[in-house]
Amino acid sequence: MTEGLTHDEWTAALRDGRLLGATCRDCGATVGAPTAACPHCGARSLELVDLPTRGAVYTETTIEVPPAGVEERGYQVAVVDLGDARVTGRLDDEAVAIGDDVVLAGFLEDDQGNPAPRFEAV
Amino acid sequence: MARAAVVGAGMTTFGVHDTPLQELFAAAALEALDDAGVETTDVEALYFGNAMGGQAENDTHLGPTAASHVGLAGIPVQRYEDACATSANAFKNAVQAVDAGIHDVVLVGGVERCTPETGKDTAAMTRIFASAAHRQYEQPAGLTFPGVFALLTKRHMHEYGTTEEQLAHVAVKNHGNGALNPRAHFGRETSVEAVLDGPVVADPFRLMDCCPFSDGASAVVVVADDLADSHDAPVDVAGVGHATGVVPIADKATPHVTKPARDAAAAAYEQAGAGADAMDFAEVHDCFTGAEVLASEALGLVEDGQGGVAAADGRTARDGDVPINPSGGLKAKGHPIGATGTAQIVELAEHLRGEAGERQIADAERAVAHNLGGDAATTVVSVMEARP
Ligand SMILES: [Zn+2]
Repeated sequence: MTEGLTHDEWTAALRDGRLLGATCRDCGATVGAPTAACPHCGARSLELVDLPTRGAVYTETTIEVPPAGVEERGYQVAVVDLGDARVTGRLDDEAVAIGDDVVLAGFLEDDQGNPAPRFEAV
Repeated sequence: MARAAVVGAGMTTFGVHDTPLQELFAAAALEALDDAGVETTDVEALYFGNAMGGQAENDTHLGPTAASHVGLAGIPVQRYEDACATSANAFKNAVQAVDAGIHDVVLVGGVERCTPETGKDTAAMTRIFASAAHRQYEQPAGLTFPGVFALLTKRHMHEYGTTEEQLAHVAVKNHGNGALNPRAHFGRETSVEAVLDGPVVADPFRLMDCCPFSDGASAVVVVADDLADSHDAPVDVAGVGHATGVVPIADKATPHVTKPARDAAAAAYEQAGAGADAMDFAEVHDCFTGAEVLASEALGLVEDGQGGVAAADGRTARDGDVPINPSGGLKAKGHPIGATGTAQIVELAEHLRGEAGERQIADAERAVAHNLGGDAATTVVSVMEARP
């Protein structure tokens, strides 16, 4: 039995409007991306946790030259600090800066159906 | 005693090459063998780097193809892929093998084509480069590689007040150095005004903050310490550190400190018995201007938070107290992904031999190379010294 947080679990939660994370029972670190072990201490004992869906922008950039497969340009990608963990997501039609409050507002999908969190300014 | 010695170095011009990968590699590899005075029959193993041949050119399993093309079929060949740190990792493994006595004479090098000669336009190549970001937790948000380093750099700007103008100074310096490098992709100078006037790629980076898509190859011959003196101009490999960091960016404790670079540098400096203060110059991985700022701090060449200031004040110029990227760096010399790591070793060797021409760092005796892959989650730091 593998503990940890899988992409399937994380994806299902995101589609349901939740952000799943994992807290390490050894070092206490919480991560926002699925993992089979704590990336900070290596421990395999992880507890799945619901992360807050509101947080502050930790860093951001506006991408004007997108990769093939992304039709829009001028979209913002941000790392959002949710308190115990951070999550990377997209902001559309917003101009948020580091420190601004944002809230989960659904998700977008890439051309292979992988979802990414979508945030909007509060 | 050194861990190993570089006794031959070769590289192509970085730029646009309408040449198959094995032929491009051969141009650098044969130059390195000739420089070393080593016959193909003397080479015991090939450590080969290529990051994206499969995606860019439908060309994989390149190790034996490249080896065959230069007359090395038969010996063990290993091919490395660590995004932009590809051939630095090949170099590390080559040094380890020689240091451990497994081989005495090995060839190390890398090759890549990233320009439209591959048939891939900017959007397609931007997607290929983005494959080094986390597939499930970064790529779907539309993150690109300029975007990755923009995220790190903007946090640095927030923490320390680093400015876009300071970033532009990095580009201006590296273009100035590249203008003195006959193998550089960009051979012309630029100005802060021109950089700040360019179109935004991913803020804070404008076009001139970004390295180009380049084609090219580089190679070095690495031999055991006790064989070095039988070659004309050996350069010692004093230390090689290699570390990885947490992926994705959101899970890194402090993304802009680039911890793997600090860990790799600490290991390399310890092996060399020399710290940042003892480095006469550095070649660092300036895929974007902000990346050079982060690297200059992570290597301990300047204090944390001072990377942008140091560039603007001229401290990192060729005549400054901590010269960085006399080759022009990735920014001006160019960045054929899998060739970049060993091209840095070529540059170090030329300066330490006193053969770097107009861009020579005067009296250089010891230098450090910093090659990162992905969001800096792979970093290899190498210290080289003129042989006493
Ligand atoms: Zn832990």
